[in-house]
Amino acid sequence: MAAWELTDAWQGVLLGLVPAAFRSATPLLWALLGETLGQRAGVVNLGSEGQMLVGAASAFAVTAHTGDAWLGLAAGALAGLALSLGHALLCLRFGANQFASGIAIWMIGFGVSSLLGASLVGQSIAGFSTFSATELGRRLPLLGWVTPTIALSWLATLAAGFFVYRTRPGLALRAAGESRRGAEAAGLRVNRIRTLAIACGGSFCGVGGAALSIDYAQTWAEGMSQGRGLVAVGLVIVARYDPWLALPTALTFGAAEALVLRLQSAGSDASAHLLHMLPYAVSLVVLIATCLGPSARASAPAELRAVLDR
Amino acid sequence: MSVPHERRATLRSALVRCALAAAIFAGLSLVFFLALGRDPVPLFVALWDGSFGSGFALSETLVKLSPVLLCALATALPARLGLVSVGAEGQLVAGSIAGTACVLATGDRAGAVTLPLMLLAGAFGGAAYAALAALLRVGWRVNETISTLLLDYLPPLLVEFLVYGPWKNPDSLGWPATVSFPDAARFDTYFDTRVHAGPAIGVLLILLALLLTARTRSGLALGLLRDSPLLAERAGLSFGTWVFVMMALGGAAAGIAGSVEVSVIEGRLQPGIGAGAGYSGFLVAFLARGHLGRLLPLGLLVAGLAAAGDNLQLSADLPSAVVYVLQGLLFIAALIASHRRTTSSGTELG
Repeated sequence: MAAWELTDAWQGVLLGLVPAAFRSATPLLWALLGETLGQRAGVVNLGSEGQMLVGAASAFAVTAHTGDAWLGLAAGALAGLALSLGHALLCLRFGANQFASGIAIWMIGFGVSSLLGASLVGQSIAGFSTFSATELGRRLPLLGWVTPTIALSWLATLAAGFFVYRTRPGLALRAAGESRRGAEAAGLRVNRIRTLAIACGGSFCGVGGAALSIDYAQTWAEGMSQGRGLVAVGLVIVARYDPWLALPTALTFGAAEALVLRLQSAGSDASAHLLHMLPYAVSLVVLIATCLGPSARASAPAELRAVLDR
Repeated sequence: MSVPHERRATLRSALVRCALAAAIFAGLSLVFFLALGRDPVPLFVALWDGSFGSGFALSETLVKLSPVLLCALATALPARLGLVSVGAEGQLVAGSIAGTACVLATGDRAGAVTLPLMLLAGAFGGAAYAALAALLRVGWRVNETISTLLLDYLPPLLVEFLVYGPWKNPDSLGWPATVSFPDAARFDTYFDTRVHAGPAIGVLLILLALLLTARTRSGLALGLLRDSPLLAERAGLSFGTWVFVMMALGGAAAGIAGSVEVSVIEGRLQPGIGAGAGYSGFLVAFLARGHLGRLLPLGLLVAGLAAAGDNLQLSADLPSAVVYVLQGLLFIAALIASHRRTTSSGTELG
C-alpha cells in the first residue's frame, strides 16, 4: 500500500515534469533568444539580467495597476528595450568595453527594478492563466498547461530562427557579427544593425522578465530573475548562437529547475537550498561540455571571438 | 620606459578624465533624483553627509571599504593577465564559509591564533573557488567572465543550506544563522565606531600586489604574458600556470574579505553575506584601469557611495536599491569619460 502510494507520487512527478520544465524554461528562453540576436551581431550583453529585472518589475506594476496582463507584457518589453539602448549607446557610441558596460547596465537595472518594485512586494495580480479554460484548451486538452508567454516564446523561436537564417536583414545581422570591415565594405551600417539587434534583444529580455513576474511566479521579488539573464549569456554558447537550438538549451535549465521543485513537493529529503544549485550547476556543466568540443569556437561569430577569447 | 614628462602627461589626462567623470556622474545623478520626484539638493547634501561629511560617516565609509577594496584586488590581479573576472562576489562568500568552518571547528580553544587561522581559512576558501574558474579557463577554455558570473550564484545557496541545516544555531528560534562567534574570533573595533582592521588588511595586500607586479621577476613575467603571449611562451612562461596564480591570489583577497565581514558585521554566518561588495569591487578595479595604487582612493569613493546609500535610506527615506543605481551611474560616467582616449586595444582593466 505504502509502496503503491510512493510510485503514485513519483508518477505525478514525472508526468508533471514536461509542462513544469517548459514553464520554468520560458523566461530563460526569451532572454536566450534576445542574447543570441545581440551576439550574432557581435555584441555581448551582460545587461540582460538588468533588462529582465526591469521587464519583470514594469510588467508587474502595469498589470497590478490596470489589471491587463497584455499591457503588462508590453510594458515589460518596452522597459527592457529602453535599458538595452543604454548598453548600445555605451558600447557603440562611446566604445566602452562590452563586459563593463553590461555590468553597469545590470547594476542600473537591478536598482531601478527594486525601486519600481518596492511598493509591489506582496501584491497579488491577475496575471496570465493557462489555456485550459479557453476554447483552444478544450479542443487540445494535452496543451491545456500552455500559457500565452509560453506559446509566444515558441513563435519567437521560430521567428528568430527564420529571421537569422532566411531573410536579408538576418544575413546583414550575421555579417555585422562576422566582420565589421567586411560588412561595411558591403555597404552595411554596422552600428545601426548592432543597435537594432541589442534593442530587439533587450525587449526579448524584458518579455522574459515579464513572463517571470506576471505568468510563472505571479509575484514580484527583488532580484527575482536570480541570474537567468547571465545564465542566458553562457547558454548562448551552448546553443551555438543558433535561435533554433535556444529552445532545447533553455529546456535543460528548465528541466533542472522543474525537477528541483517537483522533488521538493514530493517530499525529498535533500535540502531545498542544495537542490536550488542544480540549475546553475547543470548550466555550467553543459557550458563546459560545449567548450570542450572543437566546434564551439568555430560557431562563434568572428567579431565576438575578439571579445571572448582575448 | 616612461620618461618623467610622459608620466606627468598620463597623470594630467587621468585627472582630466576624473573631472569629466565626476561632472557626468553629477549630471546623471541629478537626472535620477529628479526622476524620483525629489528635490535633488538635499539628496546631494545627504550623499556628502553620509559618506565623508562627518567623523561617523567617515567611519561607516571605512567599514564599507574593507570588502570593496579586497574584492577590487580579486578583479585587478587577474586583469594583469588580461582576464576579466567578475567572481569576487562568489569568492567572498566562499571565504566566509571557509572562515566560519574554521571558527566553528576550533571554538575558543585556539585563543589568539583564532583570527589568523580564520583569515587563512577564508583566503584558502576564496582561492580554491577562484581556482575553479581558472581550471575551467585553462583546462576547458571556458571564458572566465561567464564562468565567474555563473559561479557567483552557488556559494550564497550553500550558505543558506548551512545556516538552515547543519550549522543552524539551535537556540536561534528559527532565525537562520550559525552560533555567535567567540570573542577570540571577533575583530576589535576602534574609536567607539565600527571601524576595524579590514581596510588595513586591504591596504597591506595592495602593497604586496604592487610588489608582485612591479619590476620584479613576476612583474616582468606578467607584463610579457599580457602584452606578447607568443614571446612569453618562447621565454618558457606558462600562461596557464599564471592564470591559476593570479586568479587564486585574487580569490584569496576576496575570501579574506568574506571572513572579515562575517566576523565583524554580525559575528556569525547568515544569509545575505556579500551583499554586492564583489560587484562594487569590480567597479573599483575598472575605475582604476590597472593602476593598483589607485584602488585605495577609488575604493574610498565607491565605499563612500555605499555608506551614503545607508544615509539616504535613513534620512531621505529612499530604498537601499538607490546605491545600485548610483554605482551603475558612476560606472557609466567613467565609461563615457574614458572614451576620449580609448585606443580600443585589449582590455581597459589591465
